[in-house]
Amino acid sequence: MSGGATASGGDTAGRPPADRTRRDRLATGVLAHVREFLREPVHVVLLLALPPLVVEGYGRAMASFPEFPYMTAVPATLGRINGAVFAAAFLAGLIGLFQVVSAVQADGRLGVCGFSRTELFVSRLGTVAAVSVGSAVVTFATLWWRVDVAAPAAAFGALVLAALTYGLIGVLIGTVLPRELEGSLVLVFVSDFDDFLASGIVDVDSPVVTLLPLHYPHALFRSAVLEGAAATDEALAGLAYLGVLFLVVLGAYVRVASGGEGA
Amino acid sequence: MPNIPIAADRGPDSHEDDGDTVVLRGTGIEKSYDSRLPWGRGVEVLDGVDLEIGASEIVGIVGANGSGKSTLMQVLVGALDADAGSVERSGRVGWCPQESLLYDRLTVAETFDLFGAAYGLSDEAIEDARERLADRLDFEEFLDYQVRHLSGGNRQKVNLAVALLHDPDVLLLDEPYTGFDWETYLAFWELTEELTERGTAIAIISHFVSERERFDRIYELRDGDLVETDGDGSPADRSGDDAVADPTEVA
Repeated sequence: MSGGATASGGDTAGRPPADRTRRDRLATGVLAHVREFLREPVHVVLLLALPPLVVEGYGRAMASFPEFPYMTAVPATLGRINGAVFAAAFLAGLIGLFQVVSAVQADGRLGVCGFSRTELFVSRLGTVAAVSVGSAVVTFATLWWRVDVAAPAAAFGALVLAALTYGLIGVLIGTVLPRELEGSLVLVFVSDFDDFLASGIVDVDSPVVTLLPLHYPHALFRSAVLEGAAATDEALAGLAYLGVLFLVVLGAYVRVASGGEGA
Repeated sequence: MPNIPIAADRGPDSHEDDGDTVVLRGTGIEKSYDSRLPWGRGVEVLDGVDLEIGASEIVGIVGANGSGKSTLMQVLVGALDADAGSVERSGRVGWCPQESLLYDRLTVAETFDLFGAAYGLSDEAIEDARERLADRLDFEEFLDYQVRHLSGGNRQKVNLAVALLHDPDVLLLDEPYTGFDWETYLAFWELTEELTERGTAIAIISHFVSERERFDRIYELRDGDLVETDGDGSPADRSGDDAVADPTEVA
């Protein structure tokens, strides 16, 4: 609230004593948002069809790519690995973006009715996390069908990390730029740029690359798929990146939510 | 206006009340929308609005398109922060926004579950309220429909029912009967009468008021200020009235 405006009278909605625990309310919110997502046929089709298309498309496109000494596998395999990370991350990013943008007004009403900003934020994040894991499952299954994966559990973990990271980036874009078309365009450019430089298909020798969101998930995923090793340093760095990103998203959300945006 | 203290938070079972208890008070509310671009034009919408609503009162707020009625309601309910001024509320507040702000892909029954959870109601209380309101507003057969598949009128019924779900003490309705058929329109007014008899304070926003006698007071929002009128655009002659009208006198 700005300019000295005040409000009083208990909670915003003046709600009655809660007969529900916060966990119960959050579960109800997440379940409702997941239902909303799954009831949109286009979402389900994208979730099921996009990963196979991208993974196989990248693999076939890269098959004719020359093999350079810095490459850790044949180009077709690198293409499929790259496609898997991109598909999981981009899908999760779209989900994060649309979770925030498409329901911002209804969420505002839910807030007036008694959901706290924290509960709204956590329920949206919970939905993004659940669907991100779903996109990682579909993507991983697609890759496993075409490529021998040396360490499946570590590889799946790396995909989930990529999906969660981009899920948060989608939420961040949707919070700062709450428009579907413009937000989608930003997400497309960011994820393309990020994936291209972090994929290992081109040899980029710059410390700036380590700041890209997909840098550590890509490194982890390649290592797990090709070498069967769980790269601990990259895993820790990727998780730290996720933690910092969470704080940035939380800060942006709180700032926008307390700004009193409205028509 | 004499400054009558606002009622203490009235709790879940506190509908019985007399008409002199102020349950909603807005004082000096100011709100403007500034452009984010340096060359854009800002709009000053509310310029020091004062409003009090007492228990059992039904108040109309009219005004031209773009006069700021919905902005005022959003500030009163807490959906929008004012630039200056204060809002005091007592008890539970129900808000029916002009656009039905619902989740399109949830069924009507799931919508009640979600908003009921937000209100903090138990499953049993939600089910009771859902059955009562669906019967009253005649949308029982649509409980399993997704909101996006409802007609405009049925959607508006659900929009209104969500505002009534927790049996509010103060009800703020923004164009609540848009799209209603005649039967539902009459059912709506019967319901408001019952609610005011039980002590609920109601504010209804509309472009115009066609049935003046249904309201205890009517305000017009004009040039950012709220002016009490007789419903035909002329200022009300309220000399000697208290700040909060006695509903029996006005009716």
